[in-house]
Amino acid sequence: MLEHGKIDGKQAIFLMLSVVLPTAILTIPAGIVRTARQDAWLSVMAATLAVLLIAWLVVSLSLRFPGKTLCEYAEEILGKTLGKIVCLLYIWLFFLYAGSGAVRQFSFFLVTAMMPETPIEVFSITVVAVAAYAVRNGLEVLCRFNQLFLPVTGLLAIVFFLSTIEMKPARLLPVFDAGLLPIVKGTVMPTMLMGEIVLLAMIIPYLNKPEEAQRIAILSALFNGFVLTASTLEALLIFGPDLAAHWIFPTFNAVRVISIANFLERLESVIVAFWVLGGFVKVGVFYYVAVLGSAQCLNLKDYRPLVLPVGVILVSFSSFMHGENIVDMIYYISQIQVPFMLIVFEVGIPLLLLIIALVRGKGGQSS
Amino acid sequence: MIVLLIIAFIGIILFEVPGLIKQKMWRDLVAFSIYLFIGMALSIPQVLGIILPNPSKAIEVIIKPVSELLK
Repeated sequence: MLEHGKIDGKQAIFLMLSVVLPTAILTIPAGIVRTARQDAWLSVMAATLAVLLIAWLVVSLSLRFPGKTLCEYAEEILGKTLGKIVCLLYIWLFFLYAGSGAVRQFSFFLVTAMMPETPIEVFSITVVAVAAYAVRNGLEVLCRFNQLFLPVTGLLAIVFFLSTIEMKPARLLPVFDAGLLPIVKGTVMPTMLMGEIVLLAMIIPYLNKPEEAQRIAILSALFNGFVLTASTLEALLIFGPDLAAHWIFPTFNAVRVISIANFLERLESVIVAFWVLGGFVKVGVFYYVAVLGSAQCLNLKDYRPLVLPVGVILVSFSSFMHGENIVDMIYYISQIQVPFMLIVFEVGIPLLLLIIALVRGKGGQSS
Repeated sequence: MIVLLIIAFIGIILFEVPGLIKQKMWRDLVAFSIYLFIGMALSIPQVLGIILPNPSKAIEVIIKPVSELLK
C-alpha cells in the first residue's frame, strides 16, 4: 500500500466540499445564467440530482473492489494493458488537466480581482509549491488542514446573509420563461463541476470505514448542490439575469455591493480568503490523486519521488492549456473541459467499468 | 528566467535522486526521470517564448458536436 494514512467520514466529506466549491462557487453562476437565465437555480438543483447518480455509480463501482483505487481496479477489470491505458488517461486528461485548470483559475482570479500588476506565474508556482509540501506529507495532512480551515468558511454564510438587503425576489420572475430546454442545457456545467467528486474513487480505500462511502458521497453531493444553488440565487437576486451573466465572478461582485452603515464594506476579502484556502486544497487533492495514480500505475514503491516532477507538469500545463486570458479560459472550461470530462471521465468510463465488471463477474462484496 | 528554471530543476534532482539511489529504488528513479523530463519539455520552451501546440484544441475538435448542442 502506497498510502498509510487513514481518514474518517467527516474528513472525506469536507475534502469533497473543498474539491468542488472553491472554483464552482465563483464560475458557476455566470456560466449557467448565460444559458438558463433567471431559471439558473433550477438548473443547479437538477444538476444535484444528476450528481447523486454519478456519485452512486462511482461508489458502487469502488465498493466492489475493497481496498483498491480506481487505477488498481481498472487493471483488474480490463486486464493489464487496457487497464493501464485507462489509468493513464485518467491521470493525464482528468487529474492533471482539471488540476492545472484549477491552478489557472486560482491564479487568474487573484490577478483579475485583486492584484492586476503581478505576473500570473507567481500565483501558480506558489500554490503548487505549497500543495507539493502537503502532498508529500500524505493524504492525512491535507485532510486535517482542510478540516481545520473549512469551518472558517461558515463566515461566507454570514456574508450571504448580509447581502439579502440588496435582493429583490421579483428578479427571479418569470419562472420557466424560455421553456425547459435552456434549463436542461444549463445543468451540464454544474453537473460536471460537482461531478468532480468522482475523485472519491481514488480516496475510498483510505477511509477508516469504507462502507460509509455511499453516505459520504450523497451528503457531499447534496451539500455542494445546496451551496451552489444558494450562491446562484444570490447572484440572481442581486443582479438579475442580464447583469449576472456579464460578470465573470458574479458571486464575488455580489459580496462587493454590501455596504452597511458605510462601515461594514469590502467584505469580498472573506471570499478571497475562502478562495485562497479552498483553491489550495482543491489543487492539492488533484495533485495528490495524480501522483498516487501514477505511482500505482507504474508499480512504484513510494509516490513521493513523483511529487516535484508532477508539480512542474501542473504549472506548465496551467500556463499553456487553458488559454491566454480569462475570457479564453472560460471558453475552454465551458465549451471543452465541461462536456469532455463529464462524458468521458465522470460518466462514460465508470459506467463502462461497472458494466464490464458485472459481465465478467469481477469484484463483489465477498472478495 | 531560464537560469532560474535550470537551477530549480537541479534543485529538484539534488533533492530526490541521492535518496533514491541510496535505497536502490531503480524503478522509482526511472519514473522520476520520465516525469521530470516531461516537465522540462513542457516548461523550458515556454520560458524561451516558444508556443507549444495546445492539446485543448485537439479535444475541442473531438467534442465539437456536443458543445454545439449546449450553446
